[in-house]
Amino acid sequence: MRPRIAEWRFMLKRIRQSSLAVAGLLILLAFVAIAVLAPVLAPPYSSDPFIVPADRLLAAVTPSPTPPTTAHIFGTIGSDQGQFDLYYICIWGTITAFRVGVLVVAASLLIGLIIGTAAAFYGGILDEVLMRFTDVIIAFPTLVLAMVLAIAFPGSIPINFSMVMLAVSLIVMFALLAIRPDRRLMLVDLLIIVFSLYSVFSFPLNVQLGLSQLDKVLFAITIVGWPGYARVIRGEIMRVKNEDYVEASKASGSSDFRTIIKHILPNSIYPILIVATLDIGSIVLTTAALAFIGVGAPVNYADWGQAISRAQSWISSADLIIKNMHVFVIPGLFIVFFVVGWNLLGDALRDVLDPMMRRR
Amino acid sequence: MSQESIVDVRDLEVKFYTYAGIVEALDGVNLSIKKGEILGLVGETGCGKSVTSLSIMRLVPPPGKIVGGRILYKYGSVQGNVLEMSDHSLRKLRGKDVSMIFQEPRAYLNPVYSVEDQIGEVMLVHKKEEILQNAVSAIEKKLIENRRIALEKQRVRLEKQKTRNKKDKMKLEERRARLEKEISKLASKPPSNFEVRIYKRLIRSPRSRIVAFQARFSRKRQFKKELRKEVVRVLRSVEIPDPERVARMYPHELSGGMAQRIVISMALSCNPTLLIADEPTTNLDVTVQAQILNLIVTLKKGLGSSILYITHDLGVVAQSCERVAVMYAGNIIETADVFETFSNPLHPYTRALLRSIPRPGEPFRSIPGFVPSLVNPLPGCRFHDRCEYAMEICRKTKPPFFEVKPSHYVACHLYGGLK
Amino acid sequence: MTNLLQLSNLKKHYPILGGILKRRVASVRAVDGVSLTIQRGECFGLVGESGCGKTTLGKTVLRLFKPDSGSIFFDAPEDVVEEIIRLKQKDPQSRRLRALRGQYDIATYHGADLQPLRRKMQIVYQDPTTSLDPRMLVKDVIAEPLVAQGIAGGEEAKKLVMEILERVGMSDRALYRFPHEFSGGQRQRIAIARALVSRPKFVILDEPTSSVDVSVRAQLLNLFTDLQREFGLTYMFISHDLSIVECISHRVAIMYLGKLVEYAVTDEIFHNPLHPYSQALIASVPVPDPTRRKRRVPLTGEVPSPVNPPVGCRFHPRCPIAMDICKKKEPELLDVGKEHYVACHAINSSIEA
Repeated sequence: MRPRIAEWRFMLKRIRQSSLAVAGLLILLAFVAIAVLAPVLAPPYSSDPFIVPADRLLAAVTPSPTPPTTAHIFGTIGSDQGQFDLYYICIWGTITAFRVGVLVVAASLLIGLIIGTAAAFYGGILDEVLMRFTDVIIAFPTLVLAMVLAIAFPGSIPINFSMVMLAVSLIVMFALLAIRPDRRLMLVDLLIIVFSLYSVFSFPLNVQLGLSQLDKVLFAITIVGWPGYARVIRGEIMRVKNEDYVEASKASGSSDFRTIIKHILPNSIYPILIVATLDIGSIVLTTAALAFIGVGAPVNYADWGQAISRAQSWISSADLIIKNMHVFVIPGLFIVFFVVGWNLLGDALRDVLDPMMRRR
Repeated sequence: MSQESIVDVRDLEVKFYTYAGIVEALDGVNLSIKKGEILGLVGETGCGKSVTSLSIMRLVPPPGKIVGGRILYKYGSVQGNVLEMSDHSLRKLRGKDVSMIFQEPRAYLNPVYSVEDQIGEVMLVHKKEEILQNAVSAIEKKLIENRRIALEKQRVRLEKQKTRNKKDKMKLEERRARLEKEISKLASKPPSNFEVRIYKRLIRSPRSRIVAFQARFSRKRQFKKELRKEVVRVLRSVEIPDPERVARMYPHELSGGMAQRIVISMALSCNPTLLIADEPTTNLDVTVQAQILNLIVTLKKGLGSSILYITHDLGVVAQSCERVAVMYAGNIIETADVFETFSNPLHPYTRALLRSIPRPGEPFRSIPGFVPSLVNPLPGCRFHDRCEYAMEICRKTKPPFFEVKPSHYVACHLYGGLK
Repeated sequence: MTNLLQLSNLKKHYPILGGILKRRVASVRAVDGVSLTIQRGECFGLVGESGCGKTTLGKTVLRLFKPDSGSIFFDAPEDVVEEIIRLKQKDPQSRRLRALRGQYDIATYHGADLQPLRRKMQIVYQDPTTSLDPRMLVKDVIAEPLVAQGIAGGEEAKKLVMEILERVGMSDRALYRFPHEFSGGQRQRIAIARALVSRPKFVILDEPTSSVDVSVRAQLLNLFTDLQREFGLTYMFISHDLSIVECISHRVAIMYLGKLVEYAVTDEIFHNPLHPYSQALIASVPVPDPTRRKRRVPLTGEVPSPVNPPVGCRFHPRCPIAMDICKKKEPELLDVGKEHYVACHAINSSIEA
């Protein structure tokens, strides 16, 4: 117990020593505070707090954005539904940003981890197939592919559960054949295949999955994002796989699964964490970029990117840009600080973890 | 082998400022290397032998710092206290007077350059003029030969020519005389071409920027040929079989023994006064080790260099060194001639070390205890907690390093020495 | 049943893949037909230089690698072993052979069959820095064989770990530390504790003292002999350091390029080496006695690559007494008297004559 705590304390000390790291941490803590205190700072107007309240009275007076006033602290953006309060958008947009960043990164991390680990650990044809599949996805320009996927995803997906079960069991069978035929597992899998075939033709299980616009974007970015993690983890695992202690674990009787979980992953996960931390900021930027193009959250959704996207219509000439500056500068600043905070934290993590890894 | 020493290390202190604390790596090291001798520096891991050798070249990496003592360099072109030398003198010292070879030779060879390129680079630093001269001679020889053949042909043609009258005959005679004169002048004033002129200019003014610029854009074919020949000669001198083929290889294709030979050849190419060998054969097979040891001793005899041979293998020391210095926890605790050291070790650590060599049929004897931590070390002799002869004074005062018998120095209170 | 381990013509090759389709273009013949027996309770020394295949042999015996051909008999009745070897020569396709091999020849095991072996055969690696997981506490490192094989868990495992730690000479305080907090010698003790916690019968020691200091080596060697006596262990001591092998082994085998060239009782090998390679090897060891200085270089040249070993006797390009037959035919490992086996045409023919 004690040496692990000593390790954490050493890490914290190193973080404290770097002022940039402290700055990043403070920025993020500020954002966390905003996110937590959102209901207090900007009380929601309806059951879904992410729907921005529209001020119709102000819209009747002037349809164009108004600069900051006491009623609307950051000013407003005009739209066909009324004036949106920028302050509200920025506050609740913080939660959206965290949601987007953390969810997407967690999902792509998980997928990338599984695929990369399988490819690296078992090698051979499994590695080739998985990596070529990864390469295909990387070959597409990220933003374009994300855009296409976000647009093309149907609003509600009817999931045929039995088809899914069939597909999964077929994949498992393929993996078993490629890695190591284990008679018991194969028998169980065969039963599942038979069962799912039967259910496809007799009583298909259907589930309707409704996806909101934002959800579709998140899905898209996840699909586009996991190959990066898969590649990084594959590289790390290939390095760790050949270390003596992995072989020693095998000599001690560990199963493959145990070796991966207890030895390989803990020793290879650090670079991934660093990439993931940096990615959270970058994901938010990507989402904002997509929103700017028009593929993103609905118009009245509290999202920074959405706000800037709407700002497009109000900056058509030079003096309008200056007059309506608050419309894109303020949400823009929120995005910038958010991303900078995560970047600083990621860099700090890298600086801290590197000597720790080297100290071994 | 004369008794004069070329390097005198006195009271060298080196400290490492790390996160864990201040490591007192060297605590007053006294060492002197004599001309033409092989001095073995023996000690276990962490005793400071590598740090000592790096200090002699002032190459101690941060967070290490040389905080005290003197390293007097007494031979060769650059003399004085290494720790106080200017950068310019230091650069002259390293590589020319003192060179170093390391434990893992392939780590010290650039993996993207072939052997030829790397040895060639060293040649360029030290032997450029010689190679240029060789190139000039080679080209001139060829040019003279070509010209001579052409002139000979002319002469034959002239002789065959028939004359019609006296005027023609006189002209013929003139031409013949001129021809003879030219043939005789060939040797003394050889013909030249563009390449030879560049080389000659380079030899005359090696530092001129204009000449260097001109040389940059010329083919330098002969120079490269001569360089390659020199590389092959160097490879042959370190007993590498099939040197032409090896010259074209890359470091990752070399075996440990071959890579070490190449590194040795690079280190000895400038005839250094002192060669520091930091465990050069530790990673090699025992048969290759025997070959390399033999090579080092033979080369040393030829060049008259001194060698500081760092190792932890007492067998190697017994077989190739002339004097031995034993190090423990940052101090040199005994220095003596090799026969003396093995037959009559004075310091308790040396005795324990020799006893711990495994011998068949005898029980294994180890030294009890552990090497002390060099962060905040205890006062007094650093060996006292493991020493079987420890006395009260050993806990308090550090023993001085002095001459107990002629040429046999020890740092131990058992032998007195305190004034 | 005095033989604990018997190897019969064991081979392990590594494919070298080349070309776009990554076909096997050549093989590294790491272990190329090794047969030997190790008796219960003895320390069997395996000596050779880099590239000779000794580490590969050790790990193949442990079934960390799958052998390409040959047999490994571990704790099998001797009559069965004899029968299998006889059947392999006379009737290689017989069903009885396949059945017997499936049961007794661990070279044919795969998957779950290997699990019970892990408890009986263990290994101590050369470098304790890399063989212990840097992120695991010492108690987890040592307890791993118990947990992984389901022998014990939780409190019982901790008790066994503490017992074995004490036996290797380390205190309880090591339990909750990381391996990198210890010195090289202590880390090697932790590795030894891990190997012995499941009370194996056979331990492969792969150069266990090469990474530690000279003064600590004696401690470890004493520990090995004590533990062997106390737990009734059998060792295969792999090393390139002949002086240590001479002190600790009962019998010694010398390997060159994937094959055994000589093996006998320790005294015989070191005082009467017959094979030219053994003689050169023993003569190359620097003796720590300056009065006995040798200036000759016993062996010239480098070890050839195991990808393309020389035809015939593998040592013939460097052998001082090579004959014509050495370039064509590989010598067999024959007993030249007193259970001293040599694979050399010159020696074998002179004994016959």
